[in-house]
Amino acid sequence: MNLFKWARTKSPWIIHFNTGGCNGCDIELTAALTPRFDLERFGILLEGSPRHADVLVVTGPVTLQVKDRLVRIYEQMPEPKHVIATGTCAISGAPFKECYNVHGGIDIVLPVDAYVPGCPPKPEAIIDGISKLIQKIKKE
Amino acid sequence: MGLDYAAVEKEVCKKMTAETIVSMIRILVFPGALFLFTLAFFYEWVDRKFFARLQNRYGPLHTGPHGILQPIADFFKLLSKEDITPHASDKLVFILAPIFYFALPLTTLFVIPILSQTSLISFEGDLIFVIFAFTLIIITVFLAGWSSINRFSTIGSMRAAVQMLGYEIPMGLVMVGPAIAAGSLSISRIVEWQSLNFWLILLQPLGFAVFTVCLLAELQFVPFDIPEAETEIVAGWRTEFSGRKLALLRLGRDLELVLASALITSLYLGGSQQFWLIPPIVIFLVKTTFAVMLLSLLRAVFARFRIDQMLSGMWKYLLPLAALQIILIQLGLGG
Ligand code: SF4
Repeated sequence: MNLFKWARTKSPWIIHFNTGGCNGCDIELTAALTPRFDLERFGILLEGSPRHADVLVVTGPVTLQVKDRLVRIYEQMPEPKHVIATGTCAISGAPFKECYNVHGGIDIVLPVDAYVPGCPPKPEAIIDGISKLIQKIKKE
Repeated sequence: MGLDYAAVEKEVCKKMTAETIVSMIRILVFPGALFLFTLAFFYEWVDRKFFARLQNRYGPLHTGPHGILQPIADFFKLLSKEDITPHASDKLVFILAPIFYFALPLTTLFVIPILSQTSLISFEGDLIFVIFAFTLIIITVFLAGWSSINRFSTIGSMRAAVQMLGYEIPMGLVMVGPAIAAGSLSISRIVEWQSLNFWLILLQPLGFAVFTVCLLAELQFVPFDIPEAETEIVAGWRTEFSGRKLALLRLGRDLELVLASALITSLYLGGSQQFWLIPPIVIFLVKTTFAVMLLSLLRAVFARFRIDQMLSGMWKYLLPLAALQIILIQLGLGG
């Protein structure tokens, strides 16, 4: 494995974006960063700016309002970039699926690399999702 | 007239090349650039790890033994990423700012004695040069944020400039303390003086405290991370930087951390001095590691100030304390 690929698998920085979920997934994602689970063990940092991040972690369904903004955040990230859909909402729209203001899951607007199901998924599940994404980067 | 000019010339050239090679190695490898890069990465790891342990976390763990390679992984990852220059930005300044931000602390580190009691470059007045370099670093920060033409960057860079007005004067004032005690404006001379007398932290504890607080502000560490306040203005003045530029900015920050800890060590903790059979470099590394841990301890136990609180606190409390320290030295205490 070459140096740059090694570096990419060892330091995936995430940016967190809630597209209109109920906040349950956000709390679980934050919990994954706190002392009990401590994502920094794997070199994962939460970044504020999309320009610094490698992985876009989306929670919530795509609403009519947020669609353009989600795409814009994604486009602001530098290549190579990845998307993780966290929670059933982000995967399919789940409880909000039939709503008048909802498009559905994230994958109708962005290419998604990993799905983390659950409503909300446990922090362990989120860590598992990120590690699967890292496996995927390794195989590229 | 029997001089063989060609032979003499050859001899002189040989001597000069040997000298150039030695000084090149000293500047580029040890204790110059390459050594300082390694030290910068190592101290970032010390800082992150210690910070995490204080928060009851583990910090970087799986990249190399105990995560020691984590800063290097971050650096190479950022190097391999796409390098975006925003369309609206002031391109020249935007490209040059990270280079300056990384080159300035590196250059400044050359005047600090690391290997022995004299530094690579030492002249009377290099303490003034260090104060000047600190100002230049903040001006670079200001230009970096300003040239991005991003609203968050602009706010961040304005805050950085305003913050400089707060801590610059107490820091400059208090750095004169060791100079008065040693009777010299050269850092190497101050270190030498301390090896003959006491460590200055014993003589000027007040100065040491003020200097540490000002360094926290200079490094933009937590109580004073106002210019890049993550929860308020995205990433402050660094918002628009990505890829290689961000890698340089991070390396620059690490070098600044090395510079700060090296200054604490040289001005107050006796610098790199021989101790029984232990070589000065080892003593220097132990002391700077201690200084880095002190800085990250302070980073972990405080919460962020507002910019106005920071400014008024600096002018109301830190400046009088710094002046008091100088007055005490003039009265014959601690000098
Ligand atoms: S998946 Fe469940 S917990 Fe997560 S945002 Fe949607 S409704 Fe809330």
